[in-house]
Formats: sequence, structure tokens, C-alpha cells
Amino acid sequence: MESTLEKLKILADGAKYDVSCSSSGVGRRNTGKIGSSAAAGICHSWSADGRCISLLKILFTNKCVYDCEYCVNRRTADVARASFEPKELARLTIEFYRRNYIEGLFLSSAVEVSPDYTAERIMSCIRLLRNEYGFGGYIHAKIIPGVSPEILHQIGLLADRLSVNIELPTKESLNLLAPQKKPKNIFAPMKQITQTLTERKQLKGAGTMFKNQDIYSAGNLSYLEPEGENISTGDGSLVDLTGRPLAAPEKGRSRKERFAPAGQTTQMIIGASPESDRQIVKTSENLYRTFKMKRVYFSAYIPVSNSPLLPTPFTAPPLAREHRLYQADWLLRFYGFTADEILDEKTPFLDLELDPKISWALRNIDKFPMEINKVSLDELLRIPGVGTTSALRIVRQRRLSAIQFDDLKKIGVVVKRARYFITCCGKYCGGPDIAPDYIKNEMLAAECIRNRLLPIDDNVQLSMFNPVANQWGTVANRPDPIRNLHGQRTVSHG
Amino acid sequence: MVDYLYDGTFEGFLTCVYYHYYGEKASGIYRKEDYQASLLSGCRSIVTEEKKASRVYEAIEKKISGEDLRRIYRVFLSSDEEKENKLLRYIRLGFQEGSGISLLHSNPIVFEVQRCEYKVNIETHRIKGLARFTALRNSSPRENGNEILYCSIEPDHDILEIIANHFADRLKNDPFIIHDKTRNKAVFAQGGSWYISGFTDKDLPLFGEGEREYRDLWKKYFDTIAIRERINPSCQKRFMPVRYWKNLTEFR
Ligand code: SF4
Repeated sequence: MESTLEKLKILADGAKYDVSCSSSGVGRRNTGKIGSSAAAGICHSWSADGRCISLLKILFTNKCVYDCEYCVNRRTADVARASFEPKELARLTIEFYRRNYIEGLFLSSAVEVSPDYTAERIMSCIRLLRNEYGFGGYIHAKIIPGVSPEILHQIGLLADRLSVNIELPTKESLNLLAPQKKPKNIFAPMKQITQTLTERKQLKGAGTMFKNQDIYSAGNLSYLEPEGENISTGDGSLVDLTGRPLAAPEKGRSRKERFAPAGQTTQMIIGASPESDRQIVKTSENLYRTFKMKRVYFSAYIPVSNSPLLPTPFTAPPLAREHRLYQADWLLRFYGFTADEILDEKTPFLDLELDPKISWALRNIDKFPMEINKVSLDELLRIPGVGTTSALRIVRQRRLSAIQFDDLKKIGVVVKRARYFITCCGKYCGGPDIAPDYIKNEMLAAECIRNRLLPIDDNVQLSMFNPVANQWGTVANRPDPIRNLHGQRTVSHG
Repeated sequence: MVDYLYDGTFEGFLTCVYYHYYGEKASGIYRKEDYQASLLSGCRSIVTEEKKASRVYEAIEKKISGEDLRRIYRVFLSSDEEKENKLLRYIRLGFQEGSGISLLHSNPIVFEVQRCEYKVNIETHRIKGLARFTALRNSSPRENGNEILYCSIEPDHDILEIIANHFADRLKNDPFIIHDKTRNKAVFAQGGSWYISGFTDKDLPLFGEGEREYRDLWKKYFDTIAIRERINPSCQKRFMPVRYWKNLTEFR
């Protein structure tokens, strides 16, 4: 028997490439014995690679019977193996949580014996946490493709967030690199989750991309097919996809019972297969539209094997590309862009040197300059250097009085970018002429400096883009601190 | 015009605001301890009066807004040296503008206050994540279990009571102490309620059973989770300023 310390090392090592660490999306006060979740998400530490540590991100087991080419834990890889006992991991989570090391648990897993065998053990671990320890902290559970609908449903009732990894942007790549993971086994649980959330009217889409749209409308499932080839996917019902009926709806479920209140996410590996950025962005757009994903995460492929199907072990992970893709993802989710606007057939790859929003603006320079005091909110959001917070502020402020160029900085606009694309009360402050080449050069110089400071994932952007009032929602929504001052008396400041 | 001096409490500050309106106009408001007499204006020491303070408190809530009242209090907790005067200007403007004041982002008075608030909020948010508890043996195990959680912090701003609510809710089952080492005081909490009192860490009890083990497990986890190919210390330090590191288990 390995000690918990050895297991922790092996199983954290196997989980570290998973990118999603955010604990946000569900606000809950402590109704059990221990634990609450903050809607804004809390980072507890930052590892040496600069990534936020919020959840205990760990594999339940790495004794995998599958053999996905891109994976450190594939059956044929020569690595140390371990599995937790449900009790052991529950205890570890609680002890970490009490000490405020973590915000909750992010439990992923390899396939030990079979998907159902593993899922059942995961279920008993989080059931222990919720029911025995009364744990109210955040739980994100990965769903293994091929798991039975009943177990998935039970896990959904215990966890805050579920995710099924899409893994690769197209069916071809999936067949080639992860032959045991059939697309239908990936989509069936995704679909079941979306369907359950729909039934319970709990669906929340990603960012603002469903503004003015019916979030419950069906999406288009054709994206796993190569572009142009439009293969029918039937009526897209779950039965069609899995050949197996949906879990029977249980009778008399309690009203309080919530299914994955923080929704579902997925993750895609970037750079292990030859897809273009355009295909990747289109696939994510479709995932958002079809399954109402909260997030689609990207993970730059870090070479872990000698497989001839994959980039050689000496290839550097495409971090810059991953970063630009996340920026493109932001444009999809919060700025009202469509995948086709971000990248078209002529430009299938993102410019690694420029923010995709700037690239878009330079390609569409005829739409600029925009008059800050006139254009609509949707148009404001398209101006490089104007974020969601500052766009809203501009709209509020200009009702009171016309906005001058000097006000922009205080409003939160990144003036050194925005100036090339705007006029303020008719005045253009971007330089001699609005010429794409000139602007591009100016931008590149600025980006050069910025790039050195870039975070490697996008969780920080999340807080930078949120309106200040929401960002600190947990502070603002707390019981009035002054009332506390009067009620629960401060004994002494001495 | 006169400089008002107060005792450092929020009520004391509000009393000064009261006098600004119902007595002589204030040229400035300062903590008694920090005050350096100026030649330009005289100064007056104010005795805190609960009644006068509540008058101002309620006026702010009614005539400006509840959110601004909370904002004012959060800014009051900041360590900004000019906070009282920034707040006085804000309150005065607020009585003119009403609840719309927080939208005037480009007004320098509003901007200054919002910037202070932002700093307090950002630290509050940070400390919620960076606070580390140690399980200590409870010397009086009759009450609630045999362990007590202890955490020491050295925040720039006086945010103890803001985070107290957060942890009191989260750790309902564990009695705990959060010790602000800079200000020699601590939150004492049990079963969801808490109070603040003066505190020094002279006679802390010994580590509870398992504390060492969980510290080692956490350190192992912390070291393992970093991806070697992506090591980026400047990024790490930017999110987690080095001044906070000495109270973090993972660096001890
Ligand atoms: S199923 Fe595939 S990706 Fe998952 S652990 Fe096994 S080999 Fe790795």
C-alpha cells in the first residue's frame, strides 16, 4: 500500500495539465457543517508556473485501461500508478479545506477497470464529502465518456460543475489519437447534462453570448465533422446518440436538490492535432451553442510521448497560441463576436502577435473611428481597449454629459489602444491618419512589453473584465459590515 | 475652519462629520495619534458621540445610499493616510448628488475614493484565499472538538472584520482565531458568531495531531502541480505579492 503522500504526488502529477481551475459560478452560504462557495471564485495560491490554485485538482486513479496517444497516463506509458480510496480522498479534501488551502475539489480520473467502475468510486467519494462531512465547498467532477446515465445523474446531484472533455477539435483527430473514446460517448453525457439543466430551468450560458436569444433553443451538432461536409446527426436526441434511453426521471425529487448548479464545461487540447484556429474557434462556438457550456477550456499540448502521430517530444507547448485562443474565446462570450468574424477562410489562424480584437479591428478599419458619444453598446464593445466594464460606464456617463478624451482613462478604457479607433466629440487622437499598418506597428511595440507579463491562463482576465461591483460581489453582498460593528461589538482595537 | 481630531474609530470619524455640518467647517479630519499640528488652521479634539455618529450614519444611508455607506466604511478600513479627508469630500459631494454619486467615475473625488475601496477589496479578496489555518490543540477540549484553527495575517488594510464573516460562515464547525499581527488583534469565532479583541501570539498551544502531515501533503501538492515547462516566477509573484509569502504554509 502506498502512503497518501505518494498517491498525492502521482495523482496530482497526472492531473496538472488540466486547465480549468476556476471555482466561480456558484454562490452558496454554508448550510451544512463546513464550507461555502464564493460566486466570484477565490484563488488560494499560485504555483510556480503562475497558475492559480483554487481547487485540489487531482485524479482519482491513473490506472488507465485506455490508450490515448497524447496522455501521460495511457495504458502503455511507463509511469507510477496509484488509486485513492474514496474515504482517503474525502478526508484529504476536508483537511485541506479546513486549513483554507483550497476552495474545493476538482476530481478527474483515468479509466480504471471500466467507466462505471471508476465513476462509482468517484461518486462514493463525493457523497462522503457532501453527506458525511456536510461539505458545502466547490466540487467539479469530470465525467468519463461511456459512463451510465444513472451514475452521471447521481454525480450531478452532488457536484457543482460537471465536465466531459471534448479532447480534440474534430472527429478525425479523436479517432486517430483517442480510439477508445467514441464521439457519441462524449456527446451523450454532455447532452444529458444540458437536458437535465434545461428540464430544471437551471441553464446558464456562457457570458453574454446568449443575449437576446433563447438559451433553450437547440444548437447544431455538425461541428465534429470536417468543415464543409455537413453530415446529418438525426434529430440529435440522446437516444439517437447513445442507442440507450435516458435515465428515467425520478419521482418526488426534493425541490432543494440541484443538479450541477455551476453548469458544464469542457476542454480541448491544442496543438496535438493539425486543426486550424478557425476550426477550433468554430468548434467551441458550437459547443457553447449546442450544450450551453459555461466554458470551453484550451490546453496547450505538452509532448509526453514518442508517438509518430504527435508532435515530437522537443516541440515547445504552443502557449502563445493557447493565449490568443482564450482571447478569441472572450470575444465570443462577452463581446458579441461570432467565430466567422474572428477568423474567416482567408485567415484561418490567429495572429500570434496581436490580440484578436485588434486584428479584427484592423481588418475592418472602415468601421472606425467610432464616436464614443454616439455608437451603441454593442459597437463600443468592438473597440480595442474598451472592455465590458468601461463600455457600460461610457453608456451611463454620456447620458449625463459628453465624454471627453481625458475622461477615458478614468473610465477604465485602455487609451493607448483605443485612441486609434475612436473619436471623442468628433476629435481623433490616434495620430496623423487612420492607417492599419501604422496602427499595427504601434500596437506591436506595446504588445511586446505586455507579453512578457502575460498570465498563462485567463483567470485573471476574468477578474479584470468583471465590473468592479460584481467582482467583489461577496464583499458587497455580505451583511452590512457596519451593522456588525454595532451589533457584534469590536471589543478593543488595542 | 478647523482640523478635527478623533480617536480612530468609525463612530469618531462620523462625529467629526457631524461637527463639520453643525459646528465649524472642517479643514481636515485626522487621527489624534497621527496628527502633526499645522500652522494654518487650529485643531479641535472631538469626543466620540454615538448619537451624533448615528445621525450621520443614517443620513448617508438615506440621502446617498446603503451601498455608499458600505463603501465609505470599507474605505475607512484602508490604510490610506488621507482617507478621512477623501471620505469627507465624498460625503459632501454625496449629499449633493445623492445615490448617483458612484457613477461619476471621472470626478476626482469619486475616483480617489473608489481607488481606495478597490485596494481594500482586492486585499480582502486576496486574504480570503491566502489565509492559512493551522490546527492547534484545543486547551479546553470540552468546547467543540479537540482542535482550534489558528491563522495569522499581516494585511495592509484593517480588513479583519470583513473576512471574519466569510470564515465564520465557512468554518462553522471549527472554532478559529484569525490574528492580525500588524494590529495586535484577532477575530475569535465559534459556531458562526465572532468577536474581535486584542491579541498576541505568546502562548499558542501545540500543533494538533496530523497538522505536520497535512502541511507536508499540501507542500507536496503545491510543488507537484506546477508544470515545469511553464515555470514563470514573475507571474507567480505578480498575483501573489512576496510580502504575503511569510504566512503561507507552502513556503514555510
Ligand atoms: S482515458 Fe485517455 S486521456 Fe484519460 S487517463 Fe486514460 S489514456 Fe489518459
